[in-house]
Amino acid sequence: MMDTKNTQPYLPHELIIQILLRLPVKSLLRFKCVCKLWFSLISDTHFANSHFQLTAATHTHRIMFVSYSDPLQTRFIDFEASLHQDTASVSLNLNFMPSESHSYIEIKGSCRGFIFLYSYSNIYLWNPSTGLHKQIPLSPIDSKLDAVYFCYLYGFGYDQSRDDYLVVLMSYDTTLANVSSHLEVFSLRDNKWKEIEGINLPYMNASDDPRTGSFFNGAIHWLAYGVDLSVNLIVAFDLMERKLLEMSLPDDFYYELSFCELWVFGDFLSLCVMGDDTVEIWVMKEYKVHSSWTKTLVLPTQYFSPLCLTKSGDIVGADGGNGLVKYDDKGQLLEHRSYCNVRGRSQAIMYTESLLSPPCFLSEPKKMTQTRRKRSTRRRMKL
Amino acid sequence: MAQEASSSTSSKTISLKTGDGEIFEIEASAAKQMKTVQRLIDDLGDDITIPLHNVFSKELPKIIEYYKKDITGEITKDFEAEFVKDLNDDEVKVLFLAANYLDANKLFEFLSQNIADRLESKSVEYVRKYFGVENDFTPEEESKLREERAWSFRGIKEDE
Repeated sequence: MMDTKNTQPYLPHELIIQILLRLPVKSLLRFKCVCKLWFSLISDTHFANSHFQLTAATHTHRIMFVSYSDPLQTRFIDFEASLHQDTASVSLNLNFMPSESHSYIEIKGSCRGFIFLYSYSNIYLWNPSTGLHKQIPLSPIDSKLDAVYFCYLYGFGYDQSRDDYLVVLMSYDTTLANVSSHLEVFSLRDNKWKEIEGINLPYMNASDDPRTGSFFNGAIHWLAYGVDLSVNLIVAFDLMERKLLEMSLPDDFYYELSFCELWVFGDFLSLCVMGDDTVEIWVMKEYKVHSSWTKTLVLPTQYFSPLCLTKSGDIVGADGGNGLVKYDDKGQLLEHRSYCNVRGRSQAIMYTESLLSPPCFLSEPKKMTQTRRKRSTRRRMKL
Repeated sequence: MAQEASSSTSSKTISLKTGDGEIFEIEASAAKQMKTVQRLIDDLGDDITIPLHNVFSKELPKIIEYYKKDITGEITKDFEAEFVKDLNDDEVKVLFLAANYLDANKLFEFLSQNIADRLESKSVEYVRKYFGVENDFTPEEESKLREERAWSFRGIKEDE
């Protein structure tokens, strides 16, 4: 039989695409180097969209774990594998930001492969897999320099009906006696901020620190305090309807919201509550049905900030120090790993690897005319 | 004599002739899954040996084996894993091309994913050889590209 080198079967381009569409993001980014045709194909928006849809069942999710250091160090952790698997810590490549920002960012959300983050007075949407990013202007309220407003809710999500990404902020004027929040929405497609007018939003912060939202069922959810009824509740912003709605917390729920977090637990909206000695996980078994709140898990720890669920049903979260923990679906501790010894706040968030780039994303650093304003301490009404 | 085909076609077999002249039998219900074959049957009738110029005696038995299992609803993950276990990357490619020619959708999708799985951790050089693609980047361009996405090269054996 002749050496097959010269009789190698040749795959026409449309067949090669069928194979490429089934590869994970990491492989595709590497294969951009194969040749110019492949480079432009893999960079193409339609390819990215088809790829994201076709691989929906097998998306690679990772945790981006940012350690406090100068410059910032990050790990991109494959949490499906053991936490003790070696993941190199790399310098966070934030070359699209001004250099002083390289040691300070605040992660505010993630959705479909994009991370929403603040760095001083700049907002960015960033795809850590491709490096593509977009700077978003500060909202009208956020850019007021008088520090009267306190922004306490941040959210980021995807409006399927318009193939649009939305950033949502809720803030209120701390000098007013009657609290009514302002809801501002930035649409990536429209490329502008809009305030949702004409509705009474009697909400306030339910804890000292601002909260980031949980994107679930097309809406962004937060824990908040409802001033009218003097009760803690869940407030949700539906991205398609552009409307707010409320959901109540479990009956007899007397925990301080400073020790509670909302998160998406598989197919359910869930509440993670840090009690005295244990952490409780509550699940809303039927969305929006108050009576379906069920306590499903108790974790033998005092601190747990949930991040994600593995394919086998294990729960991964931050340990309050500089590490991650993994519990099984019965609440048994499986693994615990510390990532660095440096004292200081670390941040972690789950994101999806994708090639996606919404309209108007930039890959080159833009000349920025940002306001170099330090975040001044804001006066907040304490409950 | 053109006999009317019985309403249950499961017992009827079709004769297929490969590009290198060998003849194989396949059940009519399995042949239905390969749209190209079905079209030829519709045009030429099911009593004639159907010529398949672009499929050869090395691949066709394997394809027939797959669809034999398909019509009895026995295709499982284990079966599929076993099916490709002893095939090397080039053999899978030939099978994939055959599945495409035969318009055999289920096999085509399975093999696309299998090839993708095989290539997932391969080097850029391997992929170029595998697809017969020429590198049209200059050395400078290529090294810049590699640097920009260095993380995607981590853990990849370069000469595989």
